[in-house]
Amino acid sequence: MTKARKKKTTKKRKPAVPAKNRWGGRLWRLFLLLCGISLGVLVPWTAYLNHQVTTEFEGRKWDLPSRVYARPLAVYPGALMTLDDLLLELRVAGYRETARVSQPGQFSRQGSTVEIYRRAFRFQDGREGEQHFRVVVTGQSVKSVTAVSNGQELGLTRLEPAEIASIYPLQKEDRTLVRIEDVPPLLVTGLQAIEDRNFKHHPGVDMRGIARAALANLKAGHAVQGGSTLTQQLVKNYFLSHERTLLRKVNEAIMALLLEAHYDKADILQAYLNEVFLGQQGAYAVHGFGRASEFYFDQPLQQLQEHEVALLVGMVKGASYYNPRRNPERATQRRNQVLADFAETGLLTPAEAEAAAARGLDVTPSPRTRGTRYLSFVDLVRRQLAQVYQEDDLRTEGLRIFTTLSPSEQEKAQQALSKGLVDLAQRGLPTDLQGAVVLADTASGEVRALVGDRDPNRPGFNRAIHARRQVGSVIKPLVYLLALEHVNDYNLLTRIEDEAVALKQPDGSTWSPQNFDNRSHGNVTLLEALTRSYNQATVRLGLEVGVNQLLSRIEQLGVSAEVDAVPSVFLGAVELTPLEVTQIYQSIANTGFSVPLRSLTAVQTANGEELVRYPLRLMPQAHREAIGVLNYALTQVVEQGTAKSLPAQMGKQVTVAGKTGTTNDRRDSWFVGYTRNRVAVAWVGKDDFSPAGVTGSNAAMRIWGELFRQLPIEPVDLRVPDGAQYLWVDGQSGRLSAEGCAGAIQIPYVDGSEPLDMTACGATAQDSSKESIWKKWFGNKKN
Amino acid sequence: MEIRKIRNLVLFLAVFLGACATSPGPAPGGSHEVETRVRQPAQQDSAGVQVFPLENPAVTELLADASAAESSGRYEQASMLLERALRIQPRNPEILQNLAEVQLQVRDYEQALNFASRSYDLGPRVGEICSRNWRTISVSREHLGDHRGSVEAEQRAKSCMITKPEGL
Repeated sequence: MTKARKKKTTKKRKPAVPAKNRWGGRLWRLFLLLCGISLGVLVPWTAYLNHQVTTEFEGRKWDLPSRVYARPLAVYPGALMTLDDLLLELRVAGYRETARVSQPGQFSRQGSTVEIYRRAFRFQDGREGEQHFRVVVTGQSVKSVTAVSNGQELGLTRLEPAEIASIYPLQKEDRTLVRIEDVPPLLVTGLQAIEDRNFKHHPGVDMRGIARAALANLKAGHAVQGGSTLTQQLVKNYFLSHERTLLRKVNEAIMALLLEAHYDKADILQAYLNEVFLGQQGAYAVHGFGRASEFYFDQPLQQLQEHEVALLVGMVKGASYYNPRRNPERATQRRNQVLADFAETGLLTPAEAEAAAARGLDVTPSPRTRGTRYLSFVDLVRRQLAQVYQEDDLRTEGLRIFTTLSPSEQEKAQQALSKGLVDLAQRGLPTDLQGAVVLADTASGEVRALVGDRDPNRPGFNRAIHARRQVGSVIKPLVYLLALEHVNDYNLLTRIEDEAVALKQPDGSTWSPQNFDNRSHGNVTLLEALTRSYNQATVRLGLEVGVNQLLSRIEQLGVSAEVDAVPSVFLGAVELTPLEVTQIYQSIANTGFSVPLRSLTAVQTANGEELVRYPLRLMPQAHREAIGVLNYALTQVVEQGTAKSLPAQMGKQVTVAGKTGTTNDRRDSWFVGYTRNRVAVAWVGKDDFSPAGVTGSNAAMRIWGELFRQLPIEPVDLRVPDGAQYLWVDGQSGRLSAEGCAGAIQIPYVDGSEPLDMTACGATAQDSSKESIWKKWFGNKKN
Repeated sequence: MEIRKIRNLVLFLAVFLGACATSPGPAPGGSHEVETRVRQPAQQDSAGVQVFPLENPAVTELLADASAAESSGRYEQASMLLERALRIQPRNPEILQNLAEVQLQVRDYEQALNFASRSYDLGPRVGEICSRNWRTISVSREHLGDHRGSVEAEQRAKSCMITKPEGL
């Protein structure tokens, strides 16, 4: 500034210097100066830019968001699913319902038949091509799967998994990379026709293009055309800021020339196709045609039709101005202009262009993935991923993350909780109850659904994973399990005392637990005490088996409970999360074969190379025969105990095992239950731990029941492992009996715990049955 | 005539021994063991009686694919296919036992033992599959250093074929 002013004043001081030759000398000096500047500044500057262009362009690795997938839906005759389940899975996986199915990503339905055109997909265990088939669903299961082409039965197929979340780069760019050979030719040529007709020939900067643009702008009186080549546009996005200064323009031109000097046109065009800005989804910028195609049409780029290609090409000019969802008219106009240009340049025949212009925009009403879909579940995925991956890799490496989520079951679990809590409020319970649900596959430990808030779309505190609450009676079965392992002392019909018990606490006070109905029930069997959840009997039994044994058993089942070894632990004075309770019960439901609960099955690189797989691993528990006996007892909780009203709530008579849990002052309501194929936990309570008026059966069990009412379920398998067996015994005396004797019931015993005495009826029956077998085997000979 | 015979014999031996030379190296101990110590004796025990017929075509398809993967040494692929089959029939003893045998071949003896035990728990507890269960358990225990347990399991395998009617 000061220099400039000085110059001015000098000029003013010497106004009358006329000599021409002086001007010549000045020009000469100016020329020399410019040469100096060129040599001194421009050359090093160009060298610097050259370095930037080459290192950046070659070393350029786009940060790619990781994609999180649900489990693929297996479709085969006999698969358990309703028609509604299948339709929901299709929609979540981004399938569009049409009248006539003609391309991948579409389905149609007629009655109980659904016609599906599956997209090609690289599954966890390999790529599978497109597949066009019909599925017939009757009631609760798939009846048949046939190929559309020849009507042949398909033994097994699967839908590609729904994309449920993306883990985005920090600079908030969303992108799906494409290779130029996979891009529709019309897009490659059309982009040049609209944005840079001379692309094939210019050296990076197109003087003719600039002139043409200038002329057009002059004619119009304002800027209607830009003279930037695709290369310049790429340079601008790639290396430079978006400010409009002369220096930036100069840099842009130099770098464009350099880029062209170093790389061939195909490389430059491919980079452009992946870099160009084409939309905004919330905080995330949609870059490149690959993601734009998914974002607007829910289709891979290769499958776009002419009118769709034209729309995307047109949007390069201004992705928000021509946003087809927000400004459909403007977008249509622009698209049709592009189509006309396609016709003019011979890329399409006039008839083709006209036909394409007559079509609708065909964009989906909203993008398929609106950010993360199942927040609570994805939370669990991230937690399990964090054990293996750096946050940074997840954000930048474009990993493919395969999870165990079942979208249809997740939706049902969310609904069961949200609706269930509203219903409870109508029944007079507090309106600010919160809850959580965890649903897992019994045999594989794969988590199918997880809900951590009554509002499934509210991010934040995930109660299924983080809420540590006292578990109440839900812990009791483990006390009985420990007892059943003492074969000399206990079986299910062994009698124990349900009488008042008073225990001195470490602080000198006395602890005397009451039963739920404030009564003592005297002499009861283990089975009764467990199914009716008697506190006093359980504490007495617990004192026999030992609190340390109980705590170490919890640990063996895969959960670490940090709690003092005090007798109140027998009644559930131990804080666990719903996920941890599910882990404990998975072992019981799977008769002693524990599997760590998993939300992940595999992680792959963007190219489909496997980075890590989470295979099924079994961890057998000791004394599985006792677990088999407990398994039976837990079905009796539902049959005749505290969960007796469950079958009515579920609306089906299926053998289910379960246990209710209530904590002091009715702060927490738990229900844990399982069938042959599913194990689930529901918890209800208040976030501030205040009394909520809830019990196991009045709150959590209703939610559990509502969920299982909607699930296709299989009855609990009552078979016991080796080392235990079913015997006919007298229900009252516990003595051995026989089928057909009055009061005889069939229940399981761990070997060595069976009664030795026999009822009179049992003894006679035993004899005659021996005889009958004898007759059966040797009777003919005798005769 | 004699010369011709000898020539043929020589040719035959050449081809036969040549095949030995070009066979793909010594088979990995695991896969050899599965054949000689689990499958073959179990088959002999049962004289080919299949106790658990497979009914689900989806599972049949996956088991066939898994078997093909296994015999070409792609154990990881075989495991994945068997796990897919297990998602369809989680309690099918045949699938569980096949997984146990794949694990035996990749020398994951602990998991081989676990899957075979699970298969036994859920299976018929007699016949060929029972024998495969216990033979897998026996081999696994041996590798895990439990020699007494291994011998015991071997005995159990033999008793899979004895079906004693109760009460006799």
